[in-house]
Amino acid sequence: MAEHPRLAQREPVDFVVIGSGSAGGILAKELSVAGFSVVVLEQGRYRRTAEFSHDELAVLFNDEYVGGMRGPDPQTFRSDETEVAAVPDFPAAYYARMVGGSSVHFSANFWRLRPVDFKERSLLGAVGGADLVDWPIDYDELEPWYTKVDWEIGVSGAPGPFDAPRSRPYPLPPLPVKSSGVLLEKGARKLGLHPQVAPVAILSRPFNGRAPCIHCGFCMGFGCETGAKSSTLVTMIPQAEATGRCEIRPQSTVHRLETGADGRVREVLYFDAEGREQAQRVRAVVLAANGAETPRLLLMSASDRHPDGLANGSGYVGRNLMFNGHSGTHAWFEEPLHDYKSVQCSRLVHDFYESDPKRGFYGGGAIDARPFLSASPMLFALTAMPPDVPRWGKSYKQALAHGFTRNMFLAAATTSLPVPSNNITLDPALKDRFGRPALRVTYRDHPDDLAMAGFLQDWAVGIAEAAGATKVWREPVVPSTVGAHLLGTCRMGEDPERSVVDRFHRSHDVPNLFICDGSSMVTSGRGQPTMTIMALAFRAAHHIAGFARRGEI
Amino acid sequence: MTTDTGRTARDPARRAFLRIAGTAAGTSWLALHFPGLLAVAEAAAAARDAGAAFRHLAPAEAAALEAIAARIIPTDETPGAREAGVIHFIDQALGDFMADAAGELRAGIESVDTLAAESDAGKRFADLGPEGQDAILHAVEETPFFGLMHYLTVAGMFALPSYGGNRDHLGWQLLGFDHRHGWVPPFGHYDAELMGAPALEAGQGEGHEHG
Repeated sequence: MAEHPRLAQREPVDFVVIGSGSAGGILAKELSVAGFSVVVLEQGRYRRTAEFSHDELAVLFNDEYVGGMRGPDPQTFRSDETEVAAVPDFPAAYYARMVGGSSVHFSANFWRLRPVDFKERSLLGAVGGADLVDWPIDYDELEPWYTKVDWEIGVSGAPGPFDAPRSRPYPLPPLPVKSSGVLLEKGARKLGLHPQVAPVAILSRPFNGRAPCIHCGFCMGFGCETGAKSSTLVTMIPQAEATGRCEIRPQSTVHRLETGADGRVREVLYFDAEGREQAQRVRAVVLAANGAETPRLLLMSASDRHPDGLANGSGYVGRNLMFNGHSGTHAWFEEPLHDYKSVQCSRLVHDFYESDPKRGFYGGGAIDARPFLSASPMLFALTAMPPDVPRWGKSYKQALAHGFTRNMFLAAATTSLPVPSNNITLDPALKDRFGRPALRVTYRDHPDDLAMAGFLQDWAVGIAEAAGATKVWREPVVPSTVGAHLLGTCRMGEDPERSVVDRFHRSHDVPNLFICDGSSMVTSGRGQPTMTIMALAFRAAHHIAGFARRGEI
Repeated sequence: MTTDTGRTARDPARRAFLRIAGTAAGTSWLALHFPGLLAVAEAAAAARDAGAAFRHLAPAEAAALEAIAARIIPTDETPGAREAGVIHFIDQALGDFMADAAGELRAGIESVDTLAAESDAGKRFADLGPEGQDAILHAVEETPFFGLMHYLTVAGMFALPSYGGNRDHLGWQLLGFDHRHGWVPPFGHYDAELMGAPALEAGQGEGHEHG
């Protein structure tokens, strides 16, 4: 049975926050600490740290955390609008459904954007086939909020040679270097590159009453059993609830924002854990459901007054979806690395961050060392075998025995350009278990994104060989069909004709609707967006609280 | 090659700190979760005690599927799918999250038994020798049935023993995966080398037992 709502549904609360992840968890905490009443509507379950396990079959293969996307909550995917979207084998918009959202299951790689990310259109000019624009804010404006993230949640790292300026040091020293990090350093230095510590949102020492990482290795896709991963579940949600003004309502699936004759959101309509329809009256809404579910909800909230979806006067809701491009290179070494232990990444190479016109295409990115597909046994046996090893039999068994401990993966993460035809829309045919139109993802990487992924893979192969790998092979660089980074679909901007929210995350069209999550990002960064989503959330909360105090909502 | 972390990791105080931090957190975790761990262990023991008593598979079906699993990860100098109890994983899974797959498995068994009967005077797949079995599996290796059996064999080898397979952690031993709740550095050969510490083999090193 669902718990009965504690805050009255018929009386308006100050804020309903939709989503409790990287952005929603922070907004709930900041607004409730600031004195406002807050109801958080989260579609997933409220799992506690004590529930998390090393059960690879349940978590990675039976979708324990990512919900029923392959079952009762289907998504569809197509490469472009000429295709009929179909339900893919693997969900196209991959995210965790739980209190804390994807900040619970992410690998916790934690990079800031750099000054260049906010103004590449001005610096580089237009890119064909892309809607590349500058952000309405710059790095200097966001820097204090990045620092707030560092110190509020706990981030471990050390400055790198190309880092953007920071106003305070990392609160925690780096986690220990892994064998994969040692090898990445060795290979990269031989090639004249500048490897550096990989910052992670995982505690290297006790912090704010939380225990540090014990290097169990179950980060990617898993919830942290000791709470050392700095998810909003363990950092923000407890503080929000401690105010007594914030109620978390898990298993609450929003299907519509209802507006009044004045054009303001009046009620949030949702299904509770038993599938019953509920309504929560509200003074203002903060939508933080991620870069896929946020535009989906706005499109589902179409009405006579808002025929193309709520907050969509610009037509930019759902548009310019960005995943971040990727390429992967496997390397086996003579001796065991045991890269399945400890955090995913301990070292990375940021020499290719800036776009360089000499390459002949737009883009930037990074190469890091991590186990990735050899992080856990089933994943390795099913996905990380060299192409020249048979799929079964004695040779397969020998490769399993040899490769698991000797494998490392060089992951390259890149920019994604905002391409207008890449988007989130409502599937015209398929419904989910609540009768809501299924999420439809349309995505094809810009050719420059694939070129950048290939460029970094060439360097990754060189690094692995220079580090002394005995066997190196490439994952084919192919167009993305799955995104765990869901960015750009309600971009912020000054121009109401070309953006969805203003520089303070307020909808251009609906004065009491704020939108803050990956959808707010104007450009994709170089591959690890979570820290930027969190910095945006702290900054948005500060401004939203100010508007509320001054009666400006 | 020297790095900030390399220096601090060689610092004895830092290493001692890491050790204490890991141990303290690990111990409290175990205390917190002991009842749950016990339940998992008991479930695994119950599955083992059940022996050949399958709940969802007929004996002939179990023999065919076990024979296939045993060709995917064969027994040689080291244990394979048979010793790891993959067939018990499959039987258990059919009563749970793989219930939908029962029809496909039964149809697949029929197809390999038919091929076996054609190849060797009415024999069943499970009764053929390894070469005969491999020849049939090569003929069906692109089918969804074989893909399903490959997945189930891998899952039965490497998923938690509470699912009925991976007996005595035989699957994990094959890989060199040591399932412990926590570790302290060095983790592998190359970081150990950097720290000046003795290199580690699989199964060595400090940590905590984990069901």
